[in-house]
Amino acid sequence: MAITTPKSSLRKRISYVYVMFLLLFCILGLWIAKINIIDGEKLRTGAIEQQTRDYQVSSPRGTIYDRNGKALAISSSAETISVSPAQIAEKVKKNKYNVDDIATKLAEILELDVEELKKKLTKKNSDGIYLADVEIASKVEPEIADEVRALNLTGVYFKEDTKRYYPLGTFASHVIGYVGKDNQGLGGIEMVYDSELSGVPGRVVTLKNAQGTDMPFQEERHIDSEKGLNVVLTLDETIQHFAEKHLEDAYRESQARQGAACIVMDVKTGEILAMATQPNYDLNNPNQITDKSVLEYLETLETDDEYNKAVAAARNKMWRNKAVVDSYEPGSCFKIMTMSMAFEEGVVTPEDHFFCPGYKLVEDRKIKCAETSGHGAQTFRDGVKNSCNPVFIEVGQRVGIDAFKKYFKAFGFRDKTGFDLPGEASGVFYTDEQFNVVELATASFGQGPKITPLQLITAVSAVANGGNLMKPHLVKQFTNEQGTVIKKVQPTVVRQIVSKETSEIVCELLENAVTNGSGQNAYIKGYRVAGKTGTSEKLPRGSGKYTASFVGFAPANDPKVACLVVIDEPVGGYYGGQIAAPAVGRILEDTLKYLGVEPQYTEKEKTTIDVDVPDVTELELAVAKKRLNDLGLKYTIIGGGEKVVRQIPLENATVNSGSVVVLYTENVENQMVTVPDVKGKTLTRVKSTLTSAGLNLSIVGAGATGSTSESTIAESQTPQAGEQVPQGTVIKVEFRFQDVEGSAN
Amino acid sequence: MAARTQVRKVKNMSGQRAVRKRVGIDRGFLATVIMLVVIGLIMLFSASYPDASYREGDGLKYIKSQAIFAALGFIGMFVMSKIDYRLYKKLLKPIMLVIFALLGIVLLMPAQQGARRWIPLPFLTVQPSEFAKLAVIMYCAAVFADAKEKMKDLRYLFKHGLVVAAVLGLLLLEPHFSVCLIICSVVAVMLLVGGFPPRLFWGVVIVAVPIVVAVAFGADYRADRLTAYWNPFDPAIYKTTGWQIAQSLYAIGSGGLFGLGFGNSRQKYMYVSEPHNDTIFAIVCEELGMVGAFVIIALFCFLIWRGIKIAMDAPDSFGALLVTGIMTLVGVQVFLNIAVVTKLIPATGIPLPFFSAGGTALITLMAEMGIVLNVSTHKRQSVSIR
Repeated sequence: MAITTPKSSLRKRISYVYVMFLLLFCILGLWIAKINIIDGEKLRTGAIEQQTRDYQVSSPRGTIYDRNGKALAISSSAETISVSPAQIAEKVKKNKYNVDDIATKLAEILELDVEELKKKLTKKNSDGIYLADVEIASKVEPEIADEVRALNLTGVYFKEDTKRYYPLGTFASHVIGYVGKDNQGLGGIEMVYDSELSGVPGRVVTLKNAQGTDMPFQEERHIDSEKGLNVVLTLDETIQHFAEKHLEDAYRESQARQGAACIVMDVKTGEILAMATQPNYDLNNPNQITDKSVLEYLETLETDDEYNKAVAAARNKMWRNKAVVDSYEPGSCFKIMTMSMAFEEGVVTPEDHFFCPGYKLVEDRKIKCAETSGHGAQTFRDGVKNSCNPVFIEVGQRVGIDAFKKYFKAFGFRDKTGFDLPGEASGVFYTDEQFNVVELATASFGQGPKITPLQLITAVSAVANGGNLMKPHLVKQFTNEQGTVIKKVQPTVVRQIVSKETSEIVCELLENAVTNGSGQNAYIKGYRVAGKTGTSEKLPRGSGKYTASFVGFAPANDPKVACLVVIDEPVGGYYGGQIAAPAVGRILEDTLKYLGVEPQYTEKEKTTIDVDVPDVTELELAVAKKRLNDLGLKYTIIGGGEKVVRQIPLENATVNSGSVVVLYTENVENQMVTVPDVKGKTLTRVKSTLTSAGLNLSIVGAGATGSTSESTIAESQTPQAGEQVPQGTVIKVEFRFQDVEGSAN
Repeated sequence: MAARTQVRKVKNMSGQRAVRKRVGIDRGFLATVIMLVVIGLIMLFSASYPDASYREGDGLKYIKSQAIFAALGFIGMFVMSKIDYRLYKKLLKPIMLVIFALLGIVLLMPAQQGARRWIPLPFLTVQPSEFAKLAVIMYCAAVFADAKEKMKDLRYLFKHGLVVAAVLGLLLLEPHFSVCLIICSVVAVMLLVGGFPPRLFWGVVIVAVPIVVAVAFGADYRADRLTAYWNPFDPAIYKTTGWQIAQSLYAIGSGGLFGLGFGNSRQKYMYVSEPHNDTIFAIVCEELGMVGAFVIIALFCFLIWRGIKIAMDAPDSFGALLVTGIMTLVGVQVFLNIAVVTKLIPATGIPLPFFSAGGTALITLMAEMGIVLNVSTHKRQSVSIR
């Protein structure tokens, strides 16, 4: 018996339902596959982006060292502290936290304003949702961060950070540069070698939920940071100190309105041993303007706009590395280049004769010599010594326009040197059409073209070292954390400009210019300083604004160190020989002594050679006498004893040979004398005045040349006139060569 | 499957006495239901924990009650599998009256989130719309089974159609738009299966659907959903209307082929909204990956296949249409839920059967599975009488 069942048509239609769902579900499957395969990458990235909190861990910045390993810029660890208002709000909601309490505690430790901090702790976004991450303090000392950590607060996060510290403050500020809030280099070496110094920052990735708090399973990932490389500079901390000290003195004395700059270079390698600019600034506080006159001026400004602009301008001026960035007319210092060209071209010899009537006619122009009455008949050697403009105009004419241009370029004045520091200026020179006979004439003594101090000292070093133009550089090598050298900077010869012979003649003539001529204020006994003064009036001519400079190197027979001092817009005396040369002399003297360069005394110098007084107390009189005699010292004896009881000057005092040591053989009172006033006297008169007063002389400055000319006179003395001192006391007298007008330009 | 057999006399549809062999329930269907319930519970536990823990202070809130509902559901399924399905045809009028009563009562309840869909009882919050879905299926099955040649009689259908329309009207008053959509879909399928002329049907669909869509997206908040559908990642709406669908997609995309592993979803940490409810499938994709998602879809596919087989083997048209309606209900809900979560179609809130938290839904669903199982025991087969 058959059973009546739903009709087969119904069964068929029911089966279509299954087919329909099979199709629909297949579409779903394909769609899910599409989302995973085609959109997957994008979605995964988006999801991870919103799910993770990514902390950057700054890598410890490399240290900047001087050439001897003295740290000039170091990074110490610090921490950045941030809070999660979302998490704090959660705790507050559960009555576990009180925002006022937390804010007060944190503010006390971190020395923050409580109200400001409260705002940060409860910060919401524009939708009224509590934020997940708000920074409250950066670069916190680890000890202070530990105090905060001890509070054990939920929703307070610590991030490793580093803090840049400059142990020497203003020292070499324009060279080292400084860093910003994120430890990014903003000036000097810090900026130029930022990528080397900064290393590779590490990361910490943590998972967070949509409320911004951490997920229960802490899937933290650490990617370690890589410490940056250390930069070892060619700078020598000690030489830099000499340069900064003497430059600062010169800057103060000259009251230079536009600052002053100094470079000390290793003549043979092009390494910068020191580079200083005045005024300088504190690297630990680079925004602070220290110049009092600028601060006073800022006080007078009324609107914020004016004030901010003025502050920005003042900072930029303060941060300006004049030695590299500012080009100027080198004046007579450029005569070194003119004479080098002339010797190299063979158009002049030291003994060629010239005549200076006080001016030189070039086409229709009458170009004056600084010595308006004229130097008269002179050899080229004397022309250099006198810094005579007509002589150099004629020599320039002999070189000719084309050769002059060729050498000007060869000396590197038309290109940047490729130096390590930012903002380097290139020289300014005439176009071919502009550069004619008159321009050649003035350029021959350094007027017209503009160059940077760095270009000048690099070119002078080339002349001094036998003709090789070296690439100036400031970095000796890069080392890693372990001190292994990663990259070494080798001295690079850019090109040979002049021959060894030319170099030797120029050195000799420049030494003569210091010993006997316009550069006497840079003279150092025993160190054979060669050099050239420079004074140029800034444009427009007649402005009364000058740039005074001196470039020198020593020893002349085997130059090792060159030094350039440029003083921009001095007030009062403005001759390079007057205000720049003494600074170069002092820097070179300190540097050469520090470097242990053996002094070489001339016969003339030997008569005034310095002697260290020996200790002869407790000795038999005869023995003491012999000792002193051997050293070229004289003596007077006070008392009738057999043994020396006391001596003046004391042991180790430096005196000229031939000075008189007073020996006491009995315990009697010192014989006191009054110090006479020697200021304004010539060397000969100072000597006689002191000798007759029973005092000894120690010569400082230009007087050391032994020149007895009327031009070299005593500038200052210690002890001062009128003081009572024991007989035999050494009086230090500083001499200045005053006749620098003849060496103007 | 080894069916326990028992010969007894039953009345067939034409009233003739027939000898029927009583077979056991469809074990493949039952096994699939159990698997889905178990997997659903496990996934609900994982998906709901962080959100429940954060918002409710008890991570186990949803899973605890859902486990109880599942237990009740099994009881319901067992009971329903024992009740002869033909009883519902006889009790159709009382059933419909109860449904109208419940749908009326729910409108007197206080509104929650702008809608009156729930009747709070001491231990359970009842959602009458779940019962309404089943009742409409029973009603249609009965009407279409009796209709025979009258399936072309529009007056007959219109008369009964008014009853369905009344149910839909009450649901719209709640309002509960998504349930209406589901009911319409199921009724449409049942109409076609019941023998309604396809040409006429598609004619009605072509006229009706644009009107429904226009009404549906006319409301402002639904229009917002539509813009969110086109580009949920648009920064202007990403944090607001785009958030829900964007977070679902992030979860699905994060899963990849094999997922982040059970329990390892990150999107369930307050990114995906209501991970215990409509968006649970996104968390499933994230934790179990594309493969896991395919397995679950395949399980649903298998369940529907077994259900359809049961419908085809049903001894009468009522049983066949009843099971077809129930399986269509499950299929439509699964499709709509997954399609919305995966941004295949614009959003509307539809829970995923067996997975989403919800007492009435799970218990009713399992009761419906019990009805299907009961129909399976009446499997039509030729027997020879000894």
